[in-house]
Amino acid sequence: MEKGLKLTDILVTIIIALIFGVIYKLWGPLYGVVSTLGLHVEQLIYGMWFIAAVVAYLIIRKPGVALLAEVAAAQGEFIFGGEWGVATLIFGLGQGLAAELIFAAFRYKRYDMLIASLAGIAAALASIGIDYYYGYIGDLALWNLLILFGARIIGAIIISGIFAYLIVQSLEKTGVTNLVRPASKEDYKALG
Amino acid sequence: MAIDFSYKETWLHKTNPSLKLIIIGLLFIQLLMIHNPNVLINYMVGTLLLYLFFTGHPWKRLFIIAIPFLLIFLTSSTSMIFFGQGEVTWMKWGLVHITEESFFRGLHLGFRGIIFAALGVIFALTTRPVYLFYSLMQQLKLKPKYAYSFMAAIRLIPIMIEEMQTLHYALKVRGVQAEKGIRGFYKKLKSYAIPLLSQSIRRAYRIAVAMEAKRFSNHTNRTYFYKLGFSRFDVLLMGCLLTIICLAYYTGIHHPYFSITDVRHNS
Repeated sequence: MEKGLKLTDILVTIIIALIFGVIYKLWGPLYGVVSTLGLHVEQLIYGMWFIAAVVAYLIIRKPGVALLAEVAAAQGEFIFGGEWGVATLIFGLGQGLAAELIFAAFRYKRYDMLIASLAGIAAALASIGIDYYYGYIGDLALWNLLILFGARIIGAIIISGIFAYLIVQSLEKTGVTNLVRPASKEDYKALG
Repeated sequence: MAIDFSYKETWLHKTNPSLKLIIIGLLFIQLLMIHNPNVLINYMVGTLLLYLFFTGHPWKRLFIIAIPFLLIFLTSSTSMIFFGQGEVTWMKWGLVHITEESFFRGLHLGFRGIIFAALGVIFALTTRPVYLFYSLMQQLKLKPKYAYSFMAAIRLIPIMIEEMQTLHYALKVRGVQAEKGIRGFYKKLKSYAIPLLSQSIRRAYRIAVAMEAKRFSNHTNRTYFYKLGFSRFDVLLMGCLLTIICLAYYTGIHHPYFSITDVRHNS
């Protein structure tokens, strides 16, 4: 078997990522409008920006897919003229790496809701780490910073953990995921 | 729906896309090290001049694209202004505590957001994605399978948008009511995401099979339809940015607008 990602994997990952890239782009103005409500309510929807990595990994289930998907989605948002410009690329790289690390820690063997949520949390922590330099968030009042932390992590769990998992589950019913997944043990057993 | 997106080609279009991308990445890191709002304001003026006069797009479009800049400014600055730490209190109202330090730090973040946005939009408006990926393959040795996947995927986006329209009409004509709250959000997400994703995965799979059937491979000594290299315009771009940065520092330090020179707390 060929090592690494094949053309099919890459093309499917990037298409998925670019769909989310379009959503990421549309998410920007929504985030802006919600944030005028104040008190970091907008952080609850921040989790959408981690979803590409999780969904792509849950569909294709191979090493490297999460990182590629998140970077490609960020690149997509960047090419479509996203409001955060270059910052998007750095955030995408950080978040993708964080999610990838979680999947790698479980040796790419787990595809459940828990692992999706953990990847979401890791991506959220990565984004907070970058925000420390980018947004001086360390200089916010402590209670306010804690709300930001909490809301962003809760949002990450709900959107890029639970929702991503449920979406991929319903996608499995359509049968398309069988096109791109590596053959599992059961498949080999069925061959006898 | 046909959108006219014609523009005049300027020298910024003729710069090398990979180089432009790397320069913008470096500027990002450099910008994070600017803590002096006076320098940053000059920097912003410089990038906005570049945006307004050298991207070659008509005025009306440039202004429409610039509207979100304002939103970026607000979202980046408000929570820091209202809830940031600082000593010199200007206003205290419930949880809101505006201090001189937090106010300027918020402004600084807002300006920084605008610069990032402007740099990103300058790149997006002056770079054809196809050239970008050809250049990434030629100058930065990106593997062709990644580059061509990207280019194929970008071509599919109009089809996906059309599909999304169709889905929207289909849901409407069947009288699907939007529910409120988190359940409603999930239902809406699902009703769009599942058909879009499944169709796109099928299409991507077919394209990949077709490409491999036509002997698409990872040979490094391939030929390219577009050959991209470096030109004097790249030197011009670097010179232009260097001038902006030097002028921003010089005027920011010698002719400051505010007396604050570092917006960080405890520094």
